Amino acid sequence: MIRYRGFRAMQWVVERLPRQWGYAFAIMVGRFAFLFARQARSALEENLQVALPELDRRQLRRVAWRNFRNHAKAYADLMRLPVARVEDLRPLLRVEGTENLERARERHRGVLVISVHMGSWEVAAAIWAATVAPVTLFAEELEPRELYEWYRRTRARLGISVLPLTRAGLRQVLVALEQDEMVITAIDRDITGTGIVVEFFGRPARIPDGPAAIALRKGTPLLPVAVYRLPDDTFHAVGYPPIFAEPTGDRLADVRCVTCQLVERLEQVIRAHPDQWHLPHRIFLPPQSLESPVGSGRFTLRR
Amino acid sequence: MKVGLVSPYDYTHAGGVTEHVRHLAHWLRRLGHEVRVFAPSSRRQAEYEIPDFYRIGRVFPIPGNASVARITLSFHLARRVREILDREQFDVLHFHEPLVPGLPLTLLPWAHAPQVGTFHAFARSNIGYHYGRPILRGYVSHLDATIAVSVPARDFIRRYFPQLEPRVVPNGVDVDRFRPGLVPIRHLRDDRVNVLFVGRLEKRKGLGDLIQAYRYLRSRVPRSRLIVAGDGPLRGMVESLCSRYRLEDVVLAGYVPDQVLPRFYGTADIFCSPATGRESFGVVLLEAMASRLPVVVTEIPGYLSVVEPGVDSLTVRPKSPVALGEALTVLARDPLLRARLAEAGYIKAQTYAWPVVAAQVLEVYREAQRVHAARLCPPAQVPA
Repeated sequence: MIRYRGFRAMQWVVERLPRQWGYAFAIMVGRFAFLFARQARSALEENLQVALPELDRRQLRRVAWRNFRNHAKAYADLMRLPVARVEDLRPLLRVEGTENLERARERHRGVLVISVHMGSWEVAAAIWAATVAPVTLFAEELEPRELYEWYRRTRARLGISVLPLTRAGLRQVLVALEQDEMVITAIDRDITGTGIVVEFFGRPARIPDGPAAIALRKGTPLLPVAVYRLPDDTFHAVGYPPIFAEPTGDRLADVRCVTCQLVERLEQVIRAHPDQWHLPHRIFLPPQSLESPVGSGRFTLRR
Repeated sequence: MKVGLVSPYDYTHAGGVTEHVRHLAHWLRRLGHEVRVFAPSSRRQAEYEIPDFYRIGRVFPIPGNASVARITLSFHLARRVREILDREQFDVLHFHEPLVPGLPLTLLPWAHAPQVGTFHAFARSNIGYHYGRPILRGYVSHLDATIAVSVPARDFIRRYFPQLEPRVVPNGVDVDRFRPGLVPIRHLRDDRVNVLFVGRLEKRKGLGDLIQAYRYLRSRVPRSRLIVAGDGPLRGMVESLCSRYRLEDVVLAGYVPDQVLPRFYGTADIFCSPATGRESFGVVLLEAMASRLPVVVTEIPGYLSVVEPGVDSLTVRPKSPVALGEALTVLARDPLLRARLAEAGYIKAQTYAWPVVAAQVLEVYREAQRVHAARLCPPAQVPA
């Protein structure tokens, strides 16, 4: 409850400040977090070190600080959502690869937008929900519960549905895809611990296999997308060529193959903007873990 | 026909009159007419962003009619307005709330085109109209034809200006936007009965009564949820009421963008609008009915001019939270009744579709042109 109250107090302030002042305030808080949230910082630094092995300790620290700074700004964007107007947000977003989105939408089987915990999705998702198609976020439940409910309420007003990573949530995701909606999910962290172990930056990591399974079962196109923050605090959304998964008969191999394709694409995205990959949690497994072929398949669709 | 629509209210701020003007402009254009809109705006860049829009004046919030009117007081812009009018040469100038201080009163005396005035407001009394009658009478005489959006609005304006004979042309509803079967907000579409309120959070909308009524409902139908779409000065009060009564199931969505609002109707099972009065019409009721939702409303003249109690709605006395709670409970427990009311409302909403309403407005324009022509050239002066 204290965490939620603290968040709402900060949100109250940021909502009332001009955008740039809100960022300044958030960066100030981010600096404290960088100094005192050592666990988060070391987890982030470990992830960054795997992604960018060529960096020395000093460079790594610098990227980590820029990452905290951008993460704080992303939080400021989130805090401004209750008063954000789609018309004001629109000039902030530049989109590249619209033709890829259109190609994916041509199939009319919905689009599974695959990304990583990167940049600020608030702006892109809000504009898409208002102009392209209804958007659903399939994401982990935040703690505490009040914060999660606030988050869902705030997204709802912009037409974004937020579904939890549960069976009930998955059922709704399938309905949403059947109705040709866009479902956004991040695959760089396996919250439920049920994904498959694949190579991620050359190290084993558990990656959710749900998107690949859905794509193979339902024919849903997978669209890798990244949203970057630019230095002037506008946003650049890039849609990469969609992946149309074709089943070959070997379900496990297919799932692994599609997941690896996604991971490969997202590795490039992270390498290009490591200071915007906001993942202060340990995701990499010890090197020998790659041998275990698949997870329990909680979200795997069965025929 | 070249039409100039004049609104006294901030064009970039959501409101009943503004929405009416926006839709009327859109539908007149679709019917092949040329339309320009004159209104103040709090956003400077609005003039560049909105096609065929003249931003006239800055906006000042003025309290009135238990709400806040966002109008301009920039009377010095009369010269610019005259230049525009001379340049544009309108066939008809259509004033919305023609007697509201600010833009309409500045334009009325200068326009040479046929002039139409639409009266939207309804209240118990209007001190401005009462004491301003001797001056306003002169302004009213410029109008060649008048419209009232409902019978209560017509009776209200005739109380002060009995010489006016407004034709009742209701507000319209965009039945393409507000229709059943839209994608809901998925995390709000579960096994709960969703009660939806749409409107500004201000005293006259009866939010306090709705919260009390929802407490009553929740004690009887625990699997229910109240969704409040809208923002306003009472947001803090509503938040504190919800936390005082521990109403975790109240979703205060805040201001919902136009593009998303129809999906909120698609997420709801019941629509409720417990206004305490001063509503001349109920556009939100039409939107709900067009989305095939049963409505629960208060028995105020503006709403009763739209709904038919027992046929397409359940109605309760204003400011009676218990009666409101009972009506909501009955509906929440009875899906068949909900479906029956919703179907009747849906059929009725089609008769308020914008193409139908815009055609009626065009008839008034033609009448205004006839009256104006006769005024310029009275039959007695026409040479034989």
